Amino acid sequence: MFTKLGHLAVSFATYLGELALLVRDTVMAVVVGRIRWRLVLNHIAEMGFRSQLVVTATGASTGAVFAAQTYFQFHKLGMDSAVGPVVSLSMFRELGPVLTGLMVAGRVGAAIAAELGTMKVTEQIDALRALGVQPVDYLVVPRAMALIVSMPLLVVECVGLSLVAGWFVGTQVLGIQEAFFLENMRRYTDTFDIAWTLSKGLVFGFIIVFMSCYEGLNAREGAVGVGRAPTEAVVRCSLSILVSNFFLSFGLNILFPTV
Amino acid sequence: MSAAKENPAIEVRQLHKRLGPQHVLRGLDLQIRRGETCVVLGRSGCGKSVLLKHLIGLMRPTEGRVFIDGEDITDLPERTLLQVRRKVGMLFQSAALFDSMTVEQNLAFPLKEQGLRDPKELKDRITEALDMVGLLGSETKMPDKLSGGMRKRVGLARTIVGRPHCILYDEPTTGLDPITTDAINHLIRRLQKRLDVTSVVVTHDMKTAFHCADSVVFLHEGQVYFQGTIDELRASTDPTITDFIEGRSGESD
Repeated sequence: MFTKLGHLAVSFATYLGELALLVRDTVMAVVVGRIRWRLVLNHIAEMGFRSQLVVTATGASTGAVFAAQTYFQFHKLGMDSAVGPVVSLSMFRELGPVLTGLMVAGRVGAAIAAELGTMKVTEQIDALRALGVQPVDYLVVPRAMALIVSMPLLVVECVGLSLVAGWFVGTQVLGIQEAFFLENMRRYTDTFDIAWTLSKGLVFGFIIVFMSCYEGLNAREGAVGVGRAPTEAVVRCSLSILVSNFFLSFGLNILFPTV
Repeated sequence: MSAAKENPAIEVRQLHKRLGPQHVLRGLDLQIRRGETCVVLGRSGCGKSVLLKHLIGLMRPTEGRVFIDGEDITDLPERTLLQVRRKVGMLFQSAALFDSMTVEQNLAFPLKEQGLRDPKELKDRITEALDMVGLLGSETKMPDKLSGGMRKRVGLARTIVGRPHCILYDEPTTGLDPITTDAINHLIRRLQKRLDVTSVVVTHDMKTAFHCADSVVFLHEGQVYFQGTIDELRASTDPTITDFIEGRSGESD
């Protein structure tokens, strides 16, 4: 039992260490290597631009049902106009970044792990090295830069759409007075909340890109290995996003105090 | 330069490699002269490919040293190794073409990475390399549309387009039909003559050995069991070698 726990602790520490080395190599590559701007742009288009549909749909759907459910409860207490700030604050601080993170982990994280994993087992990564190119420079740096740029923007889109959907359901469907809805939303949401959502987006982008690249670069041989890489990437990214979100919420509350 | 001339193109001293519990290479010594084609023979799993990967720094020795053009590459950091790797080209067993790129982009890749930007020169170099492997006209094809033999040849074109001093072939004819195998064997010979490169060919195909080799190295249990010319190999009466040449497993029905 204890030996098993010990092994688990050692492999977890090894994993974290290797992940840290990948981050270090990437930072080194940005400093001393050549940045391939064209690839960065391609990846922004592929990972950021093309993720908009799934992210905005998630945001809109969540905003709409969230506004409706909040209204159903608050209406009994005569607090209709509080629906706006509740939706806005939860979306900005928690749901927006987390949902975007989970959706992007599923869409982009899996794709990164599958692509790099396939390249690994078909010797394409060795071929890169043999042709005098550092795999981290060519594969990780552009993806990391692209996702770190894209993630905060995607989070903002997700939150934005959720607010529009919440506003529509709250005021146009359920009949909350628009002026109160908007005024209360504005009063209780401030710049800190936007800083909050952007910071979380950035951190989640970081988590997704490095964990997925790691899974891809360390994929094992064969169909099973390549199949496992994206699964592992999505599971690990999602769990890390959920766990780190908890700590981020507490940390950010110290940085941008609201209470 | 004269000092460099005297050095063997490739030298391996007391190379040991452990992969997990396996002791794959066990104190291997090898010298390959400039401009010669050395064929490395041995049974599957005897460490031929592992040896090859050490010569280009894709694997690091557990013990021992590797010299390329007299330069000790054993402990070079990865980024310094990149410069060495540009002198050494490697043809992978699976050809390892970048499957998201066309043939032309595959060939342009190493050139662009070396800083070549002039479109005309790029085009000329690519055409020259494709011409050498007899695949002119395939520029716009994607790798998954090519047959195994064609893929090997594109891989070879990508290897030579950067004009390496030394080419490593990892089982260049495995999995190909006899006629394509013969074509690849001729190609290896022709490239060696035209480009005056040092070549190391890892194979278990005796035809390739007879056709291409200036010298032969036979690996057995992680060590050099035999080194000499192809005629010396043929004349050998050692049962380990004769069994391999004649393809005898020692089993009966």
